[in-house]
Amino acid sequence: MKVRFELNEAPMEIDVAPDRRVVDLLREDLRLTGTKEGCGTGECGACTILVNGQTRLSCLMVAAQLDGARVTTVEGLAATTAGATIQRAFVEEGAVQCGFCIPGMEMAALALLRQGDAPGRECIREGLSGNLCRCTGYTKIVDAVERAGRDLHAGREEQ
Amino acid sequence: MSAVLTPARLDEALRLLAENPAALAMAGATDLLVRRRGAIPGHEPVLLSLAHVAELQGITEEAAFLAIGAATPFSRIIADPLVHRYAPLLVQAAQTIGGPAIRNMATLGGNICTASPAGDSLPPLYLLDARIELASPAGERALPIAAFILGPGRTALEQGELVTRILLPKAPRFPRERFIKTGRRKALAISVTSFAGRARLDQDGRIAEIRMAWGSVGPTVVRLPALETELVGAPVHAATVERVGLAVHQGVAPISDLRASAGYRRLVAANLATQFVEALGG
Amino acid sequence: MSPREPLQVGRPEIRYDAAAKAAGTEPYAADLYPENLLWAGVVRAGVASGRLRSVETEAALAVPGVVRVLTAADVPGPNRHGIIHRDTPVLVDGRVRHAGDAVALVIAETHAALRQAIGRVRAEIEPLPAVFDPEAALGEDAPLVHEERPGNILLAAEIRKGAADQALAGCEVVVEGEFSTPMQAHIFLETENGVARLEGDGTVSMTVSSQSPFRDRFEVGAALDIPYDRIRIVAPSLGGGFGGKDGATVQCLLALAALHAGGRPVKMHWQREESMAAGYKRHPCRTRYRLGADRDGTLRALYCSLLYDTGAYAHLGGEVMELGMEHAGGPYRIPHVLIEGRCVYTNNPVAGAMRAFGVCQVAFAMESMLDQLAQRLGMDPLELRLRNTLVDGDVNCAGLPLTTSTGMVGCLEMLRDHPLWRERQAWKDGAPPHARRGVGLAAVFNAAGYGGKVRDAAIAKVELNPDGRIAIHNAVADMGQGNACGFVQMAGSILGQDADQLELRQPDTATAYPSGSASAGRTTYTFGNALIKACEELRQRLINRAGLLLFLDDDCDLRLVPGKVIHPPTDREVPLSRLAAFMPREDRVCISQFVAPVCRQVPDTATGFFIGFPHVIFAYGAHLARIEVDLRTGLIRIDDYVAATDGGAVLNPCLFDQQIQGGVAQGIGYALMEEVERREGCIQSESLATYLIPTAVDVPDILSCRLSGNEATGPFGLKGVGEVAMNGPLPAVANAVADACGIRLRRAPFTPERVLLALEEQA
Repeated sequence: MKVRFELNEAPMEIDVAPDRRVVDLLREDLRLTGTKEGCGTGECGACTILVNGQTRLSCLMVAAQLDGARVTTVEGLAATTAGATIQRAFVEEGAVQCGFCIPGMEMAALALLRQGDAPGRECIREGLSGNLCRCTGYTKIVDAVERAGRDLHAGREEQ
Repeated sequence: MSAVLTPARLDEALRLLAENPAALAMAGATDLLVRRRGAIPGHEPVLLSLAHVAELQGITEEAAFLAIGAATPFSRIIADPLVHRYAPLLVQAAQTIGGPAIRNMATLGGNICTASPAGDSLPPLYLLDARIELASPAGERALPIAAFILGPGRTALEQGELVTRILLPKAPRFPRERFIKTGRRKALAISVTSFAGRARLDQDGRIAEIRMAWGSVGPTVVRLPALETELVGAPVHAATVERVGLAVHQGVAPISDLRASAGYRRLVAANLATQFVEALGG
Repeated sequence: MSPREPLQVGRPEIRYDAAAKAAGTEPYAADLYPENLLWAGVVRAGVASGRLRSVETEAALAVPGVVRVLTAADVPGPNRHGIIHRDTPVLVDGRVRHAGDAVALVIAETHAALRQAIGRVRAEIEPLPAVFDPEAALGEDAPLVHEERPGNILLAAEIRKGAADQALAGCEVVVEGEFSTPMQAHIFLETENGVARLEGDGTVSMTVSSQSPFRDRFEVGAALDIPYDRIRIVAPSLGGGFGGKDGATVQCLLALAALHAGGRPVKMHWQREESMAAGYKRHPCRTRYRLGADRDGTLRALYCSLLYDTGAYAHLGGEVMELGMEHAGGPYRIPHVLIEGRCVYTNNPVAGAMRAFGVCQVAFAMESMLDQLAQRLGMDPLELRLRNTLVDGDVNCAGLPLTTSTGMVGCLEMLRDHPLWRERQAWKDGAPPHARRGVGLAAVFNAAGYGGKVRDAAIAKVELNPDGRIAIHNAVADMGQGNACGFVQMAGSILGQDADQLELRQPDTATAYPSGSASAGRTTYTFGNALIKACEELRQRLINRAGLLLFLDDDCDLRLVPGKVIHPPTDREVPLSRLAAFMPREDRVCISQFVAPVCRQVPDTATGFFIGFPHVIFAYGAHLARIEVDLRTGLIRIDDYVAATDGGAVLNPCLFDQQIQGGVAQGIGYALMEEVERREGCIQSESLATYLIPTAVDVPDILSCRLSGNEATGPFGLKGVGEVAMNGPLPAVANAVADACGIRLRRAPFTPERVLLALEEQA
């Protein structure tokens, strides 16, 4: 079937099997390999994308569900102020080790920080609780999201 | 490869289901696509996506009840002021389901139809006297949740029928409402034992009304009506608490599986209930 | 524009790979989907023990899109791989020894056709008796996993120092205990995968998620009878490894597929369930300990017996056990020691390398014993440890006189002075109703390097590119631990360059030089030492050639700064790009090598050891956990965690803390929830819904305290710290639970169920 959706702010139309997993559509068909697969069963969060601004697990979605949706992947992050702020914080706070969970983490962080004020550490941990990381022990990831939240909040105050 | 049907209206969905009797109804897909993963390609049934069916979405207030569309995801339920007002217990339970992304996807109707003994929304729904509204080309009907869920993975849903809404009667709130879930870790864990309790005390501090339900300790949600009746009028003191512990210990019927033994589940089911009752006094 | 600043050691320089990883552009092996690719996948035995009678492939071949279905008959060469013992069939040719054994290999045009065909291959396996319990495996009538291995023993060894039996009999206080640790899974997020292709010249080239690209050539070549020089392995950044990608996973299978794919690229990517079933695991271990001391707390004698379950094949099982034995007595002075170790085959999944390689098993037992002893003596557990802790010049429990930096005391002192330790009683007293609080300690250490008789060496290559950037040809894989970033930092600091001027090339056997595996806390140490020499040589050369271009009398006032060589007295400069154009290729490349030090006078304490004894360099750590136990559910919550670590000098504090925090989190998982559940050798906890690892709400902020030290043999004074942190959490939590509730947990992990049942038993 033809699936039409908005992908990282650009219109996208693709002919695809309607039950193709979205993670496969992104990675293999569109070569957007920033979205990772770690488990295939919705337990690790590495495949997290935003659909209409909300986090979704692309390993548990089929292509037909994207029709008419607005999709953001890690490749579209840098184009937004919040996304770029989050990426910078992950890099500078040392939140990145093997990096395989990071795109999913950043998407979860973006959804969390869009909810408003700079969240505290407990709230950040809750917000990231669907994203597994095996390298960092999460401490520096929480540092990064906390800082991104502060930076974004400060940015909003200035405006 | 299989087709995915994406109706926008309920009548269309019912028609498609009638035309494709083998189709699998899919709401958030968080459970269905995991189970489908093991299937051999080439034989997957058609999927009937309910995510865009307008009638199955959202939360509305009616005169006697609150209606939650079957395809409403948990994150929306958690954020909804009406659910907070009329069914805070359901909010508490919904907050423990999966992680944030799962809660954006998984739906209340899906959790009910999966009919897992560990379904987190189920104990609150039993205590809230939820009714499950069903539609088919032949018409509508509604069943109490206890009559809808028959066993692990089994429901009263008939061929050609869809769950449309979950109806929660508007009843006065209980001053004490508590949902507790225990798992093997703090987030993103399937429940090992869950507990929902609602209670009110009379002016003398005795139990006026108490309702309790347990998840993961039987084939479906476990209730102990005799205990609830027996507790009316009981003071909140150590003897009552002990009585509750004993009754729960004897009353639940858990199994052992990969997550926990029956013995542990029994212990925790009792401990969660005694903790709830004990806290009524504090 | 601000002036460009060279990288410096000791500073928290930003990881060179972080930006690409944060942008999703870092190319992992899993991200490769070359044009015209074929998919390869494995049919697994599904039963733990049997004889493969036949493999029926017709139905699978009939699936549209299926290219080949290969069985053992299609394997050229001996069909056996393995790191030390070549005992693992690429495809089973007779005996099935565990449920994850590969019996057939399918190649197909699409992933869907592949899965369909795998489901249609019928393997007829005649069941044979199996053994799953390591103690049962030792029994006289136990079925043999390998016919030529009587008693199912892979390795039995002993460390004997002094006379432990007699000494124990004479000790004023003796404590004892039996402990067991679970099979743990690595759970790297990028599961085992790679892409291979048969090139026109007959070379099998492969890009694979591997910790050991150079050794992979031996494994693949030996198994499939391919000449060493006809195999090329590229190892890009790994999405985690932790030891589980040390040794062939997909490599031999992929090479076999490539040989039958007509020159097309072939991709294999194990799903999580397959990774659980067929990937390597941490050795489950049972230990028995007796520890004797004087009444003043001076340790006198230790006896322990260790039993490691290596599963169906050897992998590195013997070496894992040996390292465990070398650490079994902890970082303490104990004059009389007897350590007996046995590593046995069973029909369980194969155990291999995993972070803290055999050591975290014994750390649990030894550190539990220390707290038991402290309790018996009524001593402060920290003071008891300090009284017995190894210092420079001491002889450790394996009989090795310590000649390298030994910072154990410093680590313990950091904890002794920490408010979380000093104020522990007040915190415990603040426990809410139905909960108990406790504080637990562990003193741990972990060797670095391969140990004696296994050459631990590296060859580093740096190259001035034609564009004037300097390429570092990394030869030890970066699985996320950041060794490659450390190399960039070292090179930048020696060559006066910033990150923009440096290019890091990940391991490629065609262009880099054999430097061993990314493992054993040796990655940054060994290659780093070689790299320093190569960079120093290149620095001299660049300065010299710049002097030539500038017609200077000598090189003494020339300096390297980012992008150029400058001569301040005459205010002249030579851009590196101009130097590159001037220098011929062979002049632009510097290669140097390093061999890690070994013990020259090997103590005569060890018998039965094959290779890898003794080790001479150790990282040390002292850990503290503050926990709360929910008495209603048995759930342990870790509220605070501190790890003080001696890793020599610190190259990059951020990278250092990353390793410590990550190791602690993996250790917390090991302590609280991680266990590969099996039934009849088949894995029950096959997904991340049933095999649980910690989420962001299951671990607290982990505080890493760095002891400032210096390891004279290390590059810039450092020692590897990738493993040591893994050893602390299990014993620290066990000791904290004992402190909180008075129960001594001896079987890990401490699931809520085990805790609650222990509490019930106590009541």
